[in-house]
Amino acid sequence: MRRYLVRAVGKELRAARALFLLAVAGVALGVGSVLSIQLLNRSALGAFAGSVRAVSGEADLSVLGWAGFLDERLLDEVLAVPGVAAAIPLWRAEAAVDGRADASLELVGADLLQAAVRAPWRLPEGELGEALTRRGWVAVTPALAAELGWRVGDRIPVSLGSRRATLVVGALVDLQRIAPLASRRLAVMDLAQAQALLGERGRIHQLDVRAAEGVAPEALRARLEARLGGRARVLTPEQRTAEAEGLLAAFRLNLTALSLVSLLVGGFLVYASVRASLARRREELGVLRAVGATRAQVLRLVLAEAALLGVAGTAAGIPLGWLAARANVAAVSGTIRSLYLLEGIEAVTVGPGLVLLAVATGVAGAVAGALGPALDASREDPRALLASITLEERVRARSGRTLAAGLAALAAGAAAHLALRGRWPPSAFVLALGVLVAVPLAAPAAIRLLGRAGRPQRLGVAYGARTLGARLGSSAVAAGALAVAVAMLAGVTVMVGSFRGSVERWLDATLRADVFVTTPSWRRARSDATLAPEVVARLRQAPGLVAVDLLRQVQVQAAGRRISLSGIDGALPGGERRFALLAGDPAAVMAALRRGAALVSEPLARKAGLAPGSRLAVRGPEGEIALPVAGVYRDYGTEGGAALVDLSTFARLFGPGAPSNAALYLAPGADAEATVLRLRAALRDHALQIRSNRTLRAEVLALFEQTFAVTRLLQVMGLVIAAAGVTLSLLVLARERRGELALYRALGATRPQLFTVFLGRGLGIGVVGLALGAAGGAALALVLVEVVNPAFFGWSIALHPPWAALAGQALAILAAAAAASLYPALTASRTPAAELSRDAL
Amino acid sequence: MRSSPLAALLAVALAGAPGWRPADPAHRWELPRDHHAHPDHRNEWWYFTGTLAVVDAPARRLGYQLTFFRAGLSPDPPALDSAWAASQAVMGHAAVTDLRSGKHVFSEVLWRAAPLLGGFGAPSDPVLAWARAPAGTPGRWTLRLEDGAFHLAMRDDARGIALDLVARPSKPLVLQGPNGYSRKAAQEGYASLYASYTRLATEGTVTVGAETLRVRGESWMDQEVGSSQLAPAQVGWDWFSLRLADGRDLMLYVLRRADGSVDWRNGTLVAPGGASRVLAPEEWSVTALSTWRSPRGVTYPAGWRIEVPREGLRLVAAPEVAGAENRSALAGGISYWEGPVRLTGADGRAAGEGYVELTGYGEGTRPPL
Amino acid sequence: MEPIVTFREVAREYRTAGGAVLRALRGVSGEVPAGRIVAVTGRSGSGKSTLLHLAAGIDAPTSGEVVLLGRPLAALSDRERTRLRRDHVGLVFQFFHLLPHLSVEENVLVPALVAGDPLREAAARARGLLARVGLEARAGDAVQKLSGGEMQRVALCRALLRRPRLLLADEPTGNLDEESGERVMELLLGLARGEGSAVLFATHSRELAARADETWTLHSGLREP
Repeated sequence: MRRYLVRAVGKELRAARALFLLAVAGVALGVGSVLSIQLLNRSALGAFAGSVRAVSGEADLSVLGWAGFLDERLLDEVLAVPGVAAAIPLWRAEAAVDGRADASLELVGADLLQAAVRAPWRLPEGELGEALTRRGWVAVTPALAAELGWRVGDRIPVSLGSRRATLVVGALVDLQRIAPLASRRLAVMDLAQAQALLGERGRIHQLDVRAAEGVAPEALRARLEARLGGRARVLTPEQRTAEAEGLLAAFRLNLTALSLVSLLVGGFLVYASVRASLARRREELGVLRAVGATRAQVLRLVLAEAALLGVAGTAAGIPLGWLAARANVAAVSGTIRSLYLLEGIEAVTVGPGLVLLAVATGVAGAVAGALGPALDASREDPRALLASITLEERVRARSGRTLAAGLAALAAGAAAHLALRGRWPPSAFVLALGVLVAVPLAAPAAIRLLGRAGRPQRLGVAYGARTLGARLGSSAVAAGALAVAVAMLAGVTVMVGSFRGSVERWLDATLRADVFVTTPSWRRARSDATLAPEVVARLRQAPGLVAVDLLRQVQVQAAGRRISLSGIDGALPGGERRFALLAGDPAAVMAALRRGAALVSEPLARKAGLAPGSRLAVRGPEGEIALPVAGVYRDYGTEGGAALVDLSTFARLFGPGAPSNAALYLAPGADAEATVLRLRAALRDHALQIRSNRTLRAEVLALFEQTFAVTRLLQVMGLVIAAAGVTLSLLVLARERRGELALYRALGATRPQLFTVFLGRGLGIGVVGLALGAAGGAALALVLVEVVNPAFFGWSIALHPPWAALAGQALAILAAAAAASLYPALTASRTPAAELSRDAL
Repeated sequence: MRSSPLAALLAVALAGAPGWRPADPAHRWELPRDHHAHPDHRNEWWYFTGTLAVVDAPARRLGYQLTFFRAGLSPDPPALDSAWAASQAVMGHAAVTDLRSGKHVFSEVLWRAAPLLGGFGAPSDPVLAWARAPAGTPGRWTLRLEDGAFHLAMRDDARGIALDLVARPSKPLVLQGPNGYSRKAAQEGYASLYASYTRLATEGTVTVGAETLRVRGESWMDQEVGSSQLAPAQVGWDWFSLRLADGRDLMLYVLRRADGSVDWRNGTLVAPGGASRVLAPEEWSVTALSTWRSPRGVTYPAGWRIEVPREGLRLVAAPEVAGAENRSALAGGISYWEGPVRLTGADGRAAGEGYVELTGYGEGTRPPL
Repeated sequence: MEPIVTFREVAREYRTAGGAVLRALRGVSGEVPAGRIVAVTGRSGSGKSTLLHLAAGIDAPTSGEVVLLGRPLAALSDRERTRLRRDHVGLVFQFFHLLPHLSVEENVLVPALVAGDPLREAAARARGLLARVGLEARAGDAVQKLSGGEMQRVALCRALLRRPRLLLADEPTGNLDEESGERVMELLLGLARGEGSAVLFATHSRELAARADETWTLHSGLREP
């Protein structure tokens, strides 16, 4: 049988190249989208761990501050703990490169004398003395140097907060060779230089600890925690990655779910193409059975062919996935950095595990797609295979049952969601999955419905659409696949549109100040990027100024999670308008804030179960302090949760410090843009970003768009696959229905008439896919907006369907369906009348 | 002459390091001022070795070594507002050799000279040098000079050794060469300022494993300051510090080239009363009698015939313990042999004790001086 | 009066997959005048079907000429040939070739759909034809529920729907038992005469051929004199 397989596949390839290629493309696209998402997911986590590994080697433990920073004197205590083989103090910050809009350095200030002994990299001979004593000495990666045209000895102006410094490229060290996922923007300097030029005396961010030989990291962790007595956190690399994983879980699951839909649609394609191939080869299979091949042999033959197809698709899908991942690194990286406050992705690498995953999805997807038709074919007795097709009748009879199964899936999803709601956040996705399963299962019934709609007047588009039901099998699969893709597209479009609408309204309500001042290196919750006191003093003298609001922000452990905590001026006149409270009297809330209470963001309130009246336990350097919760405000900025306190409360928790942001309120009638220009000129010597309300708003929305860029790509991939499905199923139809087409020709139908019949079939699939997809999309949008976002991300958004965009998409889908039918229609129209053979109908 | 592996990573240039002050042939020694650090010179070390007997079990004897090194990284201290700003490094090497069991335990630290990690006291400070103990051990290693006595303390819990000793000179300071100016090569510029206490009465405690032992014995102390000591052709040295049973002390060093031949050598003989005389090269000879191959695969000489015929000295120096090799993990993987020797006279009778240091044997072990 | 279809020395050769040349017709001539019923007989492979296909313009001769309603088919474009066939030729096949997803009446209406005739009138005519073959009660049924004879009667209605000047029937009873074959043939000839259509039908049955006005006998691609 194996020898037969080889010949059969070769013959098949020659006989139906278009079919084969389409099926391979389907698998390739499915594998590509799954792989690209998994690549991005893993790279996101890899980037997190990679950077530190590159600098200090494999640390067994990291000592971290509760609010981001540590007192350097802890080093002595950490070194005193038995079982510690080394402890390397690290200072970390992201500095902006002046004059290069998007360039930044992930600076690591390390004790280079120790790092030089422990780290897996070496400085050039004799460089250590330079590194410690030459002002501004920094080692950068060769990749970044090549990108920015830097050479050893070049001076680089950088800024952290409003403070400027000049660094000198002292050496090129290939840190990415050591930790391939490490950022190319990683730059290493001596701790003394980092503190003196950009940081603060006495302050570090992390101590990387290596355990002595034979000492279990867990045991050492316990010892260190006992010694530090709660002044710092001690985490294993796994715990740190798990923390990052926890933060990214929603984002990653979201992407994974989208990519799996692509795979699902790709699976449909394989199903359709295997069916087509089997339909053409019924006689061949019948003969095989008649001459003694067993059912199992036939099944194996068909499945082996499908597996080969899966392998071919996977082989094409892996580079495709890599390219797609590469193309999206910037967008995903931006999201991770802005929404989750983690390191961005720099490098995308395909490990053996991911290749394995790709092969598994591709081959398993192909075999699963082929299983149904293969079982059908193997179950037939040889006589039935040799006689005319009866398979169709079964599908038609089953359309009612399929619909019932779809509704059952929907009900099961809803039931599972209701049962698990609140206990397991992804339960909302189960509900969404129910919708996505129900949509394609309704396709056969919808096509039959289309068949009953009105009587066509002549052989043309309408006739083609109406008679789709004649070959339910392949057309229903194509329509189902299209419907799934459309449902995804519509659902996500409505969700994104609603999100955008909500964010815009939120910005309208809360973005009140006229001028916003921050620094190029500022990223939320990075407390190192601060405004120098003289900057704040100058801002207070801005002409037409009514009030200045200052903001300090840290990432901190509170209510058992990492949140972003901000200090704001609680006494600002009219300050209650800066946030949109979900409930409560704004004036009373402000009064409570000034008395030391906290406001929590909606996501935090949901996730930590907080409400006005409960307490928010914040872990400061001096231990845990429980703040009363005065209110809950809307926030779409930080999925992990955020809280607001008065600046005085902030100082009580974290000590005095400079603000990272300032907001200027001007007198009515003052020209904000002119003030921006004047301040920029006056504060030229400081690294600042001074923006008007209008500019900031635009930037926030641009960031928002970037966040959803990947989602868009996945939607488009799904649609491309679905369109390929339309082509494929129409090709199948053109093949299966050669007899019918020949009959029409014999009865006097012209070639253009047959062409329009097939165009009608394509449009029919398009219409059914669109209608079902719209219904599914509406359901999905409701699930995403009303259930997934509150339950999973923690924020509530209002439904704002972007009608114009949806209408445009609908037209695009019909156009795509029509375009997808052109080739099959052409093929069909070429059927000669003489093709009428004995049993072709 | 003394020193040992200052890590390869600390090397800047081998000779004529710009900005550093060279050893001055006209240096006038001032005590105790000159026991403190000389930061304008690149390198400096305080080297203590000695043989101690356990007070409660006099038959049990221990050898010890404790050295503090100062390595300049830059002649100009960086103007940086940080407790980590440093222009020099401090390195500590310590070893305890149990002469009964033959066990030799080595410990080391290497830190930047910074308030949290180590440093060198100003002349007003009794602390000459200190370093934070190695990771896993609380406290500091210190060398203090108080009331004319050196107080030595080191501890390494992971390796299980500690020293807490007071060493008081029992003979005056010996300047090794005119004004203590000790030449190291035929070329100009390779030299150090070098002075020794050849005998210090020593007592205190030594910890080996679980035992903390009260000890008493004699030590030798070297202090050496310089900016360039090893000439380009030289790879290392054999160094001998010997306290003879008749009250005399003998210091000899031989600087070797890569092929094993002698490039430069020097010696000093100190009379029982403390008067010292520089020995001319033709006055003395040292001949290795055997070799020892270390677990790392480095072959060191082991056992020497030492002759100073004019002074009637015909001695054999035999290592008390074969495996006294110090293998540094921090200083670029350098290793050297540093261990106690027993002296036997021509008549076969015990003739004294001392320490021998062998550097530059094996690949990549040239001290970066 | 001009004949409906004229064959002038038509020959048709096929190249088989193996490269051999199969000569289905080797120079056949003849004409079918209006309203005349002509039977084509001969053994399997004698070229009967090929001759019918040539008459319908479904196939083209390798040499010689086929003239349909005064128009040489070779001179026409595919579109013109198709139009000619659609408007003036009815086809009945041995294996009926009904569309399984359409009802009986819908099957009969297919030519009207193809031609774009007004459906109301076409449907009235279809019902009339079905009544004449005794299937008016089955008009809404699925075709699979019909017997072979009934199927061929439906196919006959379909062929006659647009009042063709020429009815081509290829072994119309070849797949039927004797009794239903007899009935189909009766209806076919009766209806054709009633409509005034000329008929060219292929059969290997001498009894059926005897019912024609004229019989052409083919032997190895040649018409026997």
